Amino acid sequence: MEQLYGSHASPFRCRFLSSYLSQIKYQILKVIVLMYNCSSPTWTSHLGLIPFGLVVPMKSWILLVRLEKYVMTKIFNRTFAPVPDEKKHDDQLSEKMALVQQFIRPENLDISSTFRNENSWLLAQKELQKINMYKAPRDKLLCILNFCKVINNLLLNGSLSSKQNPPGADEFLPVLIYVIIKANPPQLYSNLLYIQRYRFRSRLVSEVAYYFTNILSAESFIWNINAKALSMNELEFQKKMESARAFLPVFLSNSSQNISGIKFEYKGNKMDRIKTNKSIGEQLSATSGSHQFHSQSSEYRKDPFIANRRSVSVSESQEDSNPLEEQELARYFVEYPFLYTSVGDLTIKDVETLLHSYKKIVIEYVSLSKGKTDINQSFSSPFSENKTQTNNNNIDSVDESHKSVEN
Amino acid sequence: MGCASSVPDRNAGSLTGLNDGSTASDSKNLKVKLVLLGDSGVGKSCIVLRFVRGQFDPTSKVTVGASFLSQTIALPDSTTVKFEIWDTAGQERYAALAPLYYRGAAVAVVAYDITSSESFSKAKYWVKELQKHGSPDIVMALVGNKADLHENRVVSVEDAVEYAEKNGMFFIETSAKTADNINQLFEEIAKRLPRPSVVSV
Repeated sequence: MEQLYGSHASPFRCRFLSSYLSQIKYQILKVIVLMYNCSSPTWTSHLGLIPFGLVVPMKSWILLVRLEKYVMTKIFNRTFAPVPDEKKHDDQLSEKMALVQQFIRPENLDISSTFRNENSWLLAQKELQKINMYKAPRDKLLCILNFCKVINNLLLNGSLSSKQNPPGADEFLPVLIYVIIKANPPQLYSNLLYIQRYRFRSRLVSEVAYYFTNILSAESFIWNINAKALSMNELEFQKKMESARAFLPVFLSNSSQNISGIKFEYKGNKMDRIKTNKSIGEQLSATSGSHQFHSQSSEYRKDPFIANRRSVSVSESQEDSNPLEEQELARYFVEYPFLYTSVGDLTIKDVETLLHSYKKIVIEYVSLSKGKTDINQSFSSPFSENKTQTNNNNIDSVDESHKSVEN
Repeated sequence: MGCASSVPDRNAGSLTGLNDGSTASDSKNLKVKLVLLGDSGVGKSCIVLRFVRGQFDPTSKVTVGASFLSQTIALPDSTTVKFEIWDTAGQERYAALAPLYYRGAAVAVVAYDITSSESFSKAKYWVKELQKHGSPDIVMALVGNKADLHENRVVSVEDAVEYAEKNGMFFIETSAKTADNINQLFEEIAKRLPRPSVVSV
C-alpha cells in the first residue's frame, strides 16, 4: 500500500487506517490481476505505479482512479489533516490571510497594472473555494488546476488587450498569490498535504506538477509573508497587521459564513463601511468575546446569535443602518435564544426549553395584548390588532404594548 | 518551508520518473524537466515562446500561458528530446521559492539581459544557488538575451564567456525578437544531456 500512496503516508498512519488499508489492499490487487487477464497484450501505458513494479494497462488505470476516489472518500475523515499540528497550521495560515487580505495591494506583489482586474479574479476565487467540496485527491487537484487555468486565461486576455508579451511566471505567480490571499480557502495547507500524500505519484507530473508546485510555493510565500516580501516598511507592516487584527472578528464571522455555504463577497463599499465603524466593530467583538466561553445552554445560544447579527449587519450594504442601533436592538432579543436558530441546530434537550419559552411568550403576549386593547378602549382610539403577525412583528408589538403600558 | 519540504522526491529523477502514460522515456526518447531562471524582464517567456511556437508576435493567440510549455526536438542521431519547460517568477521577493521549481530539474537555463548589468549579477546569483542546492548533474546554460539590442550592450561577451567557463556552463547569446540562436540553445542542451542509460542507474 505504501507503494500506492507514497512513503509520506506512513508517519501519520494510525493503527485503524493501517488495518483498513491492508484489507482493501487485497481487493485492489485482485482487481489488478483481473485486469491483467482480460486486457489486450499491448500495454499502452507505463505508469510507474505500481505494485510488483509491473506495467498497468489503460483500462485498469481508469479503474484504479475510481478505486482511489472510492477508497479516499471512505477514509477521508481519517486521512485529512490527521494530526493537530496540521490543523493548527491551517488556522494560523488562514488567520494570516485574513489579516493580510485587508491591506494588501496588487503592487505589493509586483502585479503590473495591465493585469489588474480584481473583478474577474473573483471568478478564480470561486474555483479555489470549491476545493473543500471534494474528498478525493484527484478532484481536489482538479480544482487547483481549474483555478490556475482561470488565472492564466484572465492574464492572457489582459495581455491581448494591452498588446503586451504573453504572461509568463513573472505575471502568473504574483496574481496566483494575490487571489489565494483574497480567497482565503479554509484548510489550504491540509488540502495540499493531502494531495501530496494520496494522489497517485505517477499522475502528479508535467503540467499538473508545475501548477501544483506553484500553489505550494504560493502557500510557502504566504506562510512566510513579512514586510520585506510586500516591499513595505517594517513599521508600516506591523501597524497594518495590528489594525487588521482589530477587524478580524468581523472577517472571521464572514469566513464562517463562507464555509456554511452562504454566498458572501466583499465589495469595496462594504470594506469602507467596516473601516468607518471601527469602534463599533471593536465593541461588537468585545460583546461576543464575553460570551464565548459560557457553556450553559441559554448563554451558549447568545453567542451564535450575536455573531449572526454581526455578519448580517456587515453584509447588508445597501441600507446604511446604524450598527449601534442594531446592537441596541439585539439586546431585546437576548431573552429569545431560538429566534435565529435553524432546525438542524436543535437537539432533543432543547424541546423542553423551547416549550417553556413558548408558553411564557404566549402568556406574555396574551396578557399584554389584552392590556393594550383595554388601554386603547379606555382612550377610545380605534385601533385594530392584526392577529396574523409574524414572529418578528409579534415581538415588536410586545415591545410596543410594553411601552404603551408604561405610558 | 512548510509543506514544501515534503514534496515527493519520487519524480526527482526527471529522466526516468516523468511518464504520464502516453509516452515512455527510453534511450531514444528523452523527457527532461527544464527550469528557467532569471530576473523579471529579461524575456524568459519570450525565449520559450520563440522556441515552442516559433513566433515572437506578442498579439498572436496562444491557448495557455507561457509559464509551462513543452516542446519536442529531434536530434541528428534520431533520438528525440521532450523539454518540459518550467518558468519561474524572477522578482526578488519570490527568490526563496525557486528551489521548489528546480528540484529534480535536469536542465537549468539562467537568462540575463545583455543591456542590464543588474540582470547579469542576478544570473550569477542563480548559478551559485543551483550549485549549492540543485542536483549535482544538472546541465546549466547561461543565456544572454536581447542580443539584437547590441548598441545598448553593457555585459560584454568576454565577461559572460569567462564566467560560464569557470562554472562549467554552456553559454550562448540569443534574441527572442529575431529568433537568433533560440533553436541552437535547445539543441546544444539536448546534446549535453546525459543519456538515460547513465541516468537511470
